[in-house]
Amino acid sequence: MISLFKKLFLVIVINYIDRNIFSLLSEYFLIFPLTFLAFIYYVYKSDKNVGAFESFSIGIFVDLISDTYFGLNAIIFSLTTYFINLNSNTFKLFSYLQICLFFGLSASAYVGFSQLILNIYNFSYLTLFLSLIANIVFCFLIAFISSYFPKKINMRV
Amino acid sequence: MARIAPTSRQKLSFLIFILIGSFILYLDVTTNSFQNVKNGFKALKISTYFLTREYTIEPIKFFIKFSKNKNDLINENENLKKALDLSYLNNYLISNENIFYKDKEIIKTYADYKFSSSYNIAKLKNIDPNMYKCCDRHRMILEIIESNNYDFIESVVFNDQGIVGQIIDENIFFEVLLLTDISHSLPIRSELNSFFCNAKGSGNADHIQCSYNPLIWTEDIKINQTFYTSGLGGVYPKDIKIGHVSKIKKIDSNENVIEIKLITNPLRSDLFGVLRN
Repeated sequence: MISLFKKLFLVIVINYIDRNIFSLLSEYFLIFPLTFLAFIYYVYKSDKNVGAFESFSIGIFVDLISDTYFGLNAIIFSLTTYFINLNSNTFKLFSYLQICLFFGLSASAYVGFSQLILNIYNFSYLTLFLSLIANIVFCFLIAFISSYFPKKINMRV
Repeated sequence: MARIAPTSRQKLSFLIFILIGSFILYLDVTTNSFQNVKNGFKALKISTYFLTREYTIEPIKFFIKFSKNKNDLINENENLKKALDLSYLNNYLISNENIFYKDKEIIKTYADYKFSSSYNIAKLKNIDPNMYKCCDRHRMILEIIESNNYDFIESVVFNDQGIVGQIIDENIFFEVLLLTDISHSLPIRSELNSFFCNAKGSGNADHIQCSYNPLIWTEDIKINQTFYTSGLGGVYPKDIKIGHVSKIKKIDSNENVIEIKLITNPLRSDLFGVLRN
């Protein structure tokens, strides 16, 4: 139960940061889906497979707190969780570079899908492309930091 | 520790949840079925915020204010700010008085006409600047002061710059559909009164757009040309300045799209006026 509240609290905090960053960076055609990145990082680092119900519920909760259409984050979170669960052992063979590319590509896929639903009339390939580059660079930075400060970054949720 | 690849049962549960998610998403996009849940959550969020503020920050603030000699000065300053905001709203309405009530004056004698009681003051409760800047859905939540159970549905909402939208839903608070929301449609006209069209919200902050057939509407539209409300929809009063043409796109020989930059910005103020129906 404590773990559940901890997760929900973390989701709220990260989502709050996410929304604040969004308002700053949207003028530069950049979107960092921090909530999504944090969630896939949690699924990636988890010792056990994250269940479909958990990913779906967290997605619905994110939909509720971020005032988007219900089901949008739930579908993406479930799909990504399934994909990570399916390839969890394969990821162990990957280098940091490949993992960062995967995270960056997933984030831009998230941006693309959510923009398709939320912003179809003003869908921007520029935003998608710039977000892809920025997210990959962002993941590289996080990977660099985690390799320099491994104990502090590699915390378990 | 190695993680086991999903079993066929787990795969099936993922598939079921993805299908449920898709169904919920389809339902929400097409029918807006979860609006009550979302509004309830928003109301809860706003109430929690204000209650928390009321019982944590406000007492501390009060104590700090109380302990300072500048307390009176601060209060006076706040009152002056409120009065100034109100006067901005009044100024806007007075400057458009003849236009706003042109239709009403026909059926109302001057003696019945009370300008000061013709609109209510509303405080901004919630607006999502992220949604306003990024996405198609542009809404705002207001609290109308002394609403006295009037029916405010379809009432015009304005700030000191001009019209910002109309009320579409009333609950504890009032939901405002902004002019830039893609589901919003505003009948407008050109300065020369020879061009009319329904301007739809573009989903972009501060912009609405209007598509027309140049073979039917022959007036030459130019950049920076001013547009006004035509009053044809029956919701907005006519002849209110809306904005200037910022872009003209020629789609084909039968269709042009003009983009109009609005003169109003709903993020500018936290005090609004709501015209009574």
